[in-house]
Amino acid sequence: MSGSMIKVIFGPQHPALKEPERFILNTEGEYVVNAKVRIGYIHRGIEKAMENRTYLQNIYLSERICGICSDAHTTCYVQAIEELLGVEVPPRAKYIRVIVAELERIHSHLLWVGVAAHEIGFDTLFMYVWRDREIVMDLLEQVSGNRVHYAMNTIGGVRRDIAGEKSPKMLKGLSLLEEKTKQYIEMIRKEQTILKRTIGVGMLSKSDALKLGAVGPTLRASGVKRDVRKDDPYAAYDEISFNVVTNDGCDCFARIIVRCEEILESINMIREALKKMPGGEIRVKVKPSIPPAEAISRVEAPRGELFYYARSNGTDKPERIKVRTPTLANIVPLCKMLVGGYIADVPIVLAGIDPCFACMDRVLIVDSRKEEKRVWDLNELRRYGKEWYGRH
Amino acid sequence: MSREEEVLEKLKEKFGEGILGVNIQRQRRIFAEIDRSLLREVLSYLRKELNFDHISTITGYDYGDGIELIYHLAYEDSLELSVKLKISREKPEADSVSDIYPAAAIYEREVHDLLGVEFKGNPDLSPLILPDEWPAELRPLRKDEKLEDIKSAIEAEAERR
Repeated sequence: MSGSMIKVIFGPQHPALKEPERFILNTEGEYVVNAKVRIGYIHRGIEKAMENRTYLQNIYLSERICGICSDAHTTCYVQAIEELLGVEVPPRAKYIRVIVAELERIHSHLLWVGVAAHEIGFDTLFMYVWRDREIVMDLLEQVSGNRVHYAMNTIGGVRRDIAGEKSPKMLKGLSLLEEKTKQYIEMIRKEQTILKRTIGVGMLSKSDALKLGAVGPTLRASGVKRDVRKDDPYAAYDEISFNVVTNDGCDCFARIIVRCEEILESINMIREALKKMPGGEIRVKVKPSIPPAEAISRVEAPRGELFYYARSNGTDKPERIKVRTPTLANIVPLCKMLVGGYIADVPIVLAGIDPCFACMDRVLIVDSRKEEKRVWDLNELRRYGKEWYGRH
Repeated sequence: MSREEEVLEKLKEKFGEGILGVNIQRQRRIFAEIDRSLLREVLSYLRKELNFDHISTITGYDYGDGIELIYHLAYEDSLELSVKLKISREKPEADSVSDIYPAAAIYEREVHDLLGVEFKGNPDLSPLILPDEWPAELRPLRKDEKLEDIKSAIEAEAERR
């Protein structure tokens, strides 16, 4: 290591948000020259735990893998189990799955826009976006009775219907959300505070995004038109029209725009699903034990491709369940994005992949010449970022 | 011929006896079991010639008499091909494919952590999700590791600190 190289350790604790991760950044001057990752601080052994529980219990366990995209996890899990069983879900249940999944996407993306604004010190936008996110949280609560763990999915269908008063209320809420989101997009495209901190920051070229296995909005913001909902349709996505939003910007700004435009797509998808939703049953009864089989299930979670592999062995407990969350797929591309950028941009670039919001509090800065160590937390780093941009 | 059949036919044509079994489960879901010595050749062929450009993940599975590795590949996001191979449980080794699929490096580390499979050629197999001081002989996803053993290992580690 040369004399001017400084190792900056990022993480693992983050008191306010979930999923700690640690990044070890080698820096030279203000630039990051190399990034390494260490995860696992809250590895809970869920795959092993699932082998020791029944299929029904595991629905609740999979829901608790993520506190933001909980519905994506249960959808992916129950789809895998339904395929093992060879059960066809009633059409109405498929539409309800789409509606809840898209509501969840809206809430997740709005949450992220707020977090991204906060990372670049634009707390006014953060407050406004989170205020309006309450509209979609109320809709989710109206549908499921819960704000976070909706517990909508079960093996063979869904547990609650969307009928009566719920549909007109939802349409009203969606109109308000659409109006607000359009305002935000217009503002974001013009606002210097955002443009200066995000354009050309955290670059990930199209070829790198593909090569390193990026997924979801991170991939689409590098100009790659891929979306599991379109390419490998599940639930009722093959019956609903929507555009796969992409952007050729390859930077943090493109990631903001892609997510905002996806909110508008989701709003229209929910409207269409409410209109087209067929009547009938919402679930079918299934057997508790499953003969030996294997299945792969994929879902486009708000952060990208979510992957489950399931294998049964004839009992009421699975032989093996494998889970791959979108954040893990985006970690390697993230390391690439950090390289060549400023230390001051690390928070927004990390936030750029929407890492289910991981990591990165305590920062340890080691000056290899003076052998001086300083520990920073995210607030100090954020402040450093703002001050640095104030000077340059 | 469906595109699912087409992919499997091409594989059989190219590798013959090396393809031990194939299965089209449904639309967009295909499985192929291969001879373990052909791992790199098959994946390289799939990546370069058939353009399977995305690896979703690698599943490791302890079936008692050995360990099965499943490489979940996707073609333009819409055709999932799972390539399976069986390796020994006593000396679990496989060639790394991290140069063919750079994204595979992190998934190999995960399988190494949880099942103890050595991926020859992967430059970094340091712990990814297990603690740094985790005992090397305790591979949590192996079927003979009971929850109690894992629990006592975690407690022992907490005591050391």
